[in-house]
Amino acid sequence: MLALLIAVICVVALLAVLVVGLLRSHADILRALHELGAGVGDPATNGKTSNEFTETLNPFRQMANFGPPLPAERSDSAPDLVGVTPEGAAIAVSVNGAGRLTLLAFLSSGCTSCVRIWEAFADPAALELPREVRVVAVTKGPERESSAEVAAHARGRITTVMSSEAWSDYEVPGSPFFALVDGDSRRRIGEGVGGYPRQVADLVRRALADREMLARQAAGSFATMRTPASSEVGLNGPAREADNDRQLIDAGVLPGDESLYPTDLQHVFGPGRSDSET
Amino acid sequence: MTTLQALGIEAQLPPGFEGRIYRRPPAPGERTYSVAQFASFPLPGTAADFGNGAVELMGASDVFAVLFEYGPESVGRRLFAASTMPRQLAASHFLPTVLRRALPGHSGTQWFFTEAGRPFTLYAVAGSHASLPSMLPRLNKLLAGIRITQLPSRAPA
Repeated sequence: MLALLIAVICVVALLAVLVVGLLRSHADILRALHELGAGVGDPATNGKTSNEFTETLNPFRQMANFGPPLPAERSDSAPDLVGVTPEGAAIAVSVNGAGRLTLLAFLSSGCTSCVRIWEAFADPAALELPREVRVVAVTKGPERESSAEVAAHARGRITTVMSSEAWSDYEVPGSPFFALVDGDSRRRIGEGVGGYPRQVADLVRRALADREMLARQAAGSFATMRTPASSEVGLNGPAREADNDRQLIDAGVLPGDESLYPTDLQHVFGPGRSDSET
Repeated sequence: MTTLQALGIEAQLPPGFEGRIYRRPPAPGERTYSVAQFASFPLPGTAADFGNGAVELMGASDVFAVLFEYGPESVGRRLFAASTMPRQLAASHFLPTVLRRALPGHSGTQWFFTEAGRPFTLYAVAGSHASLPSMLPRLNKLLAGIRITQLPSRAPA
């Protein structure tokens, strides 16, 4: 009997050690995932790491995003670029200055998704970007990229800077990556990873719409402000959903708000109205 | 402040300025030397050495400047007798008639000199002659931050 009791105690102790070990391992994995930015953009995280939620509430850090979520700890600084052109010239490109809007396209010569972007840049007008937006392609420096291949892609039609330092400055997670820089505020107002020219055009339109909204808020004309609807800025899918969330929050409709859960049609259309009147 | 450096030319660019330093590939039998372009506006990659293709894009408050190097055969000639690049320009140095490409409102200035044993011309264009007093401090800040040094080898491309 004593031997059985000792055996049971040993088994329980062993299981306890295993459970503690599993919990520690789980905590390490969660910590590592958090450091890598996983979970960013998930509304369930109370918005602490979401550009779409917290940064809307803090207008000084608002930034339009697209593509996979990026870590929240990212900077929005926008340093000037220094590097070389594919032809070997030393080049410095300024993104700061009154009225400047610069779309930096971080591309490589080898990535498949980048080919679509390089081809789109062959005819920048086809991107239908606002006229004031200057497009600059940024590849890694000649120590990491083939100048000849970059030159073949750029074909001299777009300002191209080869600079590994710029990739580091802008914390580029991979290519193709885009950053829209507002020269007035000297910061990035939009960024994201995307392989389709349409995504880039949407990012620019969204970022500019946000910038306009912030400018109006700063001017104290919130009452007369009209935020473009998602359909007007060309959004679809998750980006449209996030944009709707942002507009609801701007209007004071927070998650859990009673108006989001109508119980009958009168609740939706107001007293004295029915769906036949709509 | 951004530093741009190549081909024995180093420039500390004031905020808002950008630049390019290059040497064009020579045609058969041709020799080419250093060219440095600076602008307070987005400089198109297609701009010619003296700014054709760029000056057309200038705003009224913008400035464009180019340092163009000549061959060693120019050293010692009277045109290049000045021993240093001018780094403090005045409004009186600019004239609407000193323009490679005459555009309404623009005015320009051009200087020849030899510095560090290298013969150059400095050509600068103001987007608006009337706005010179407000843009000159920025141009002079750019010029004050330019350093020209001897190249290790004088062999032209």
